[in-house]
Amino acid sequence: MNKKNSWLNILSLSFILLWVILASVPFLWTLWGSFKVESDFFSKQDWRNAIFGVRTIIETGGMFTTNGYEGAWIKEEFWRAALNTGIVTLSVVTISLTLGTLGGYALARSGFRYAFWILIAALIFRAMPHITLVSGYLLPFFELGLWGHLSTTIIVLVAINQPFTLWMLHSFFSTIPKDLDESAMVDGCTRFEAFRHVIIPVMWPGVITTGLFSFLLAYNDFAITALLLTEANQTMVPKIASFLGSAQEQGNVMFAVAAVVSATVPLFMLVMFFQRQIVSGLTAGAVKG
Amino acid sequence: MASITLKNLSKRWGGFVAVDNLSLKIRDKEFLVLLGPSGCGKTTTMRIIAGLEQETSGDVYIDNIKVNKLEPKDRDVAMVFQSYGLYPNMNVYENIRFPLKIRKTDPKTHDRRVKHAAEMVELLEYLHRKPSELSGGQKQRVALARAIVREPNVFLMDEPLSNLDAKLRVSTRAQIKHLHHEMQVTTLYVTHDQIEAMTLADRVVVLNRGVIQQIGTPSEIYDKPQNLFVAGFIGNPAMNLISGKIKNNKFETETISLNGFRTNDGNVTIGFRAEDAIIQPNKTRAVKSNKISVPVYSIELLGDSTMVSFQISGSLISIKAAKEYSAKIGDVVTICIPISACHLFDSDTGNRIKDTL
Repeated sequence: MNKKNSWLNILSLSFILLWVILASVPFLWTLWGSFKVESDFFSKQDWRNAIFGVRTIIETGGMFTTNGYEGAWIKEEFWRAALNTGIVTLSVVTISLTLGTLGGYALARSGFRYAFWILIAALIFRAMPHITLVSGYLLPFFELGLWGHLSTTIIVLVAINQPFTLWMLHSFFSTIPKDLDESAMVDGCTRFEAFRHVIIPVMWPGVITTGLFSFLLAYNDFAITALLLTEANQTMVPKIASFLGSAQEQGNVMFAVAAVVSATVPLFMLVMFFQRQIVSGLTAGAVKG
Repeated sequence: MASITLKNLSKRWGGFVAVDNLSLKIRDKEFLVLLGPSGCGKTTTMRIIAGLEQETSGDVYIDNIKVNKLEPKDRDVAMVFQSYGLYPNMNVYENIRFPLKIRKTDPKTHDRRVKHAAEMVELLEYLHRKPSELSGGQKQRVALARAIVREPNVFLMDEPLSNLDAKLRVSTRAQIKHLHHEMQVTTLYVTHDQIEAMTLADRVVVLNRGVIQQIGTPSEIYDKPQNLFVAGFIGNPAMNLISGKIKNNKFETETISLNGFRTNDGNVTIGFRAEDAIIQPNKTRAVKSNKISVPVYSIELLGDSTMVSFQISGSLISIKAAKEYSAKIGDVVTICIPISACHLFDSDTGNRIKDTL
């Protein structure tokens, strides 16, 4: 019995180990390589050069170089893209969550049948490929002079994201017993005060989880931002794509690698920071009164 | 302090009628219980009074002021919910304090009032716990404390005991009765449990399908049920009912016949309580009574008494006997139904036939 158990343990441990390696190696590889020169990271002679940095030592005199980062952030003004991403993401998250909590709450508490159909319609829009929203609007955006503005992109991203936030928050609100709003209202709250003082505090994990998913959608979006933004106000993801697109220029690939790492770090920090809320948000039972 | 008046109150959802043209006056300081089976409209009535549900037609007055259009918060009622409705993110103290805080009463009085309310329901030692760390009975006491802390005009209680286990139910019930005695606040209490209704109420309103069946003190409801529904609903066990015909002052079914009913001929249902009939009378000839011989259908020891049941004309009849009573299932025994203990109901309308016997 004991022997069998230990074998099972070894087996499951090695599976976990294998999975961790598979999942983390690409990130670690990119992180490590971003501090090397192109001829090491994309070495044609020996792949081990990417690890030991033979050419990096010859070309720059040190084990590590920050040339990629300098090139991307300063020469190619990646900070502008980072700033744009910041503006777009923050706006999308704020607007989606505001509309989503209010709408999700209203739908969860509405006794009317049309609430169900609104949710079904939301699901259909959610199922569409993102690009469909853009292709139809691209010409009007050009003609009305709306193309190329961050605000247009924000609105389109909110439109894409809203059905999802509505659904997610609606299901969170549905797990909160109605008695809670009602006792708050009898205790002296208006409907909105009950929402603000009683429901939202209970809802935090749900709001944070939904907010995180909205954040990821806006942060990682490529289709919309690439089509709707000019070179001057691009966000990070299309900017990285354009670095890769001009790969024949010496060094630009390393700019892309450095930019990829720069764009990934905030995501790690975000998930680490909110992990407790995200876990309790995903196991929705924790919200129950 | 306040009285509540309902005038021709109705609530419909599409074709479903939850409350049907209900009129009722709840007196100042009265403990009134709305009693009925589930779906009879009792909770809906209470929610309309609280302002949580919009009436389809009719008016609600609290202290002679029409409150139809007022928000729940402006009606000065406090409500206790079946599932407690405690705020899970606040501790007991903050839960009890919430109504004071949101109504912006003088913050200096908060601590005293919260502690006083907590003391009344014996919660002082739990003030710093979260609701999730409390038992069901404690949770319901927090809800009670939250209701009494701001000394409202009216208490509304929506089946506050039905989530508690049997033992706690008895002690919390006593606590509610005591609280009402101390505070003297008009209380409307909704329940489907007739024992709660009997023990707590000054007056009981029996509801069925949104219509009032009877209003009266617990003993009036028990002793003089106004119709077959009330007779069959109140009492444990409910009143024994046998339907048959009256002909020449004689009550007849296919299997039995009882003498001495001085009333008009027609289809009637007779009813009598389990404790009013007697098994195997020995020297009770003086009582004007009718004897029937029937086999025992089942026999149950209740502890303080024995419940013996029989099948008579298709109805299951229960009769209470002394706890020492013993018989076997199938034994034929003689039972005696005193005429004076019988209630008569018109089988067609279900209403009590007055001035009989």
